[in-house]
Amino acid sequence: MVVSSVRVLAIETSCDETAAAVVDNGRVVRSSVVASQADLHARYGGVVPEIASRAHVELICDVIEQSLVEAGASLEEVDAVAAVRGPGLAGALLVGVSAAKAISIARGLPYVGVHHHEAHLYAAMIEDPELEPPLVTLIVSGGHTLLIAMEDHGRYRVLGETVDDAAGEAFDKVARFLGLGYPGGPAIDRVALDGDPEAIRFPRPMRGEGHDFSFSGLKTAVVQYVRKHPDADVADVAASFQAAAVDVLVEKLVGAAQETGISTVVAGGGVAANSALRERLLDLAVGGDLRVVVPSIALCTDNAAMVGAVAAYRLAADGPTPLEAPVVPNLRLA
Amino acid sequence: MLLLGLDTATRRVGVVLANEHGLIGRVELGGTADTTAPRHAETLAPAIAWCCERCGVELAQVSAVAVGIGPGMFTGLRVGVTTAKVLAQSLRVPVIPIPSLDLLAYPLRYARRLVVATIDARRHELYWAIYRTVPGGVQRVSEYELGAPDDLVAELEALGEDALVCGDGSLRFAKAFAPLGSRVELAGPAHAAPSLSALVELAQSRFAREDFCVPSEVLPMYLRRSDAELAWDRKAT
Ligand SMILES: [Zn+2]
Repeated sequence: MVVSSVRVLAIETSCDETAAAVVDNGRVVRSSVVASQADLHARYGGVVPEIASRAHVELICDVIEQSLVEAGASLEEVDAVAAVRGPGLAGALLVGVSAAKAISIARGLPYVGVHHHEAHLYAAMIEDPELEPPLVTLIVSGGHTLLIAMEDHGRYRVLGETVDDAAGEAFDKVARFLGLGYPGGPAIDRVALDGDPEAIRFPRPMRGEGHDFSFSGLKTAVVQYVRKHPDADVADVAASFQAAAVDVLVEKLVGAAQETGISTVVAGGGVAANSALRERLLDLAVGGDLRVVVPSIALCTDNAAMVGAVAAYRLAADGPTPLEAPVVPNLRLA
Repeated sequence: MLLLGLDTATRRVGVVLANEHGLIGRVELGGTADTTAPRHAETLAPAIAWCCERCGVELAQVSAVAVGIGPGMFTGLRVGVTTAKVLAQSLRVPVIPIPSLDLLAYPLRYARRLVVATIDARRHELYWAIYRTVPGGVQRVSEYELGAPDDLVAELEALGEDALVCGDGSLRFAKAFAPLGSRVELAGPAHAAPSLSALVELAQSRFAREDFCVPSEVLPMYLRRSDAELAWDRKAT
């Protein structure tokens, strides 16, 4: 599907990144600005909703301005404005949505409220402008762990999700337990480079049991192991934990592709920035029947370019979102 | 000049339009008796668009955006302040931020006694400020405060002057003021929400003095820090 000529100014504030982007025709990124608040939340070991919401209000104007400057575009040259309306932190979502609605009424532009997970799906379309559904996507981050079959634009089936912790949450908790700091994903990734992924045989929870995931048992296994072996090499523990998590994620993604008969697999979300996961996914493509699309790290972690991409499709298919539409912190996909 | 004013510090969503001669239109939604979930993010932008349309003006004609910055309900404030600053940025006009407690006190400037503005801070607390009436207005004589109703009552007791107390906080905790007897009067529901007329008057004189802000600088006045920060400080001491 090709969307007709449309330039979208997109905003994303669902968690702890304040982001804005200018995207043409759902595929071409003119600019993508992300102001991370990770430093503000680091000492609390996780995202604090009230602190995130306050930071969004502080950063929003500058981020929007910078996205326009980097795109070399003025607001007069924008055709639509989009923001993520869920799922996410209520107070954080409100800021991006209020900003988008303000631009909409100020400039008489259509407003498009976007689903955050759907935006992650469309990151792959930016990475590979030829990419079209059907495809199976693995979305993994601190907030979500999902396997989604995208049968067509706007047609999704959630095949599986986590029954307890999100994958990224497990990385954060294990990193904190090992004293590696926050955010945990990059910290574990870094330390694991020096470790042996086969040093410790951690469990692969729910392996071979459908499309759902479980990570809290894996986290507990790591904690118990380290308590029993206080002298264990931290790099080995990190590498072994990471190997277990990656094994499960990749196996479930491949399993979903086989079961649905869909031959294109895609990954997204902050955990898809993990180097071990990226390597394993790219290996799948070598010599196999699967086509694998792993977007660049900047497109995997939360950003507004993906919001601009999906907004172009939603606008073409459904028209503008009413200004009365609320933010929905637990918004469901399809 | 055309001025757009917004205040969302309480449950009431307020939008006002004015030209150099005065008010030309306003919309108010929600109030002290509204017990449904706050819907600022859903109602504010449509209310602004509707108000402009009914008044026959376009946002592109606006020369400044005035906004009540609180203190008050956090989510309401964030919707109002974000809307004001991004609107102003998109229209390339300045923002005039005004504390919402000042907007409560200003209409009572003829009261000839102390004026106390209050806003419900939930958790059994109030935001408040104390004002003295002066020719043409009010002058704030306290900090912008956050505390229990009893703290305010003790403060008024100590001051020993007649006072008129307004705002939704005083309605919510009306009983707390009883010990002060006839020295203290409550202004009632007509003065429950920050005044949109006051927003226009105060903003216009500031606009005339070119006393305004660039949009990115404007922030809500929270007074209360986040629970996480408070807990962190408790742990540190
Ligand atoms: Zn995400």
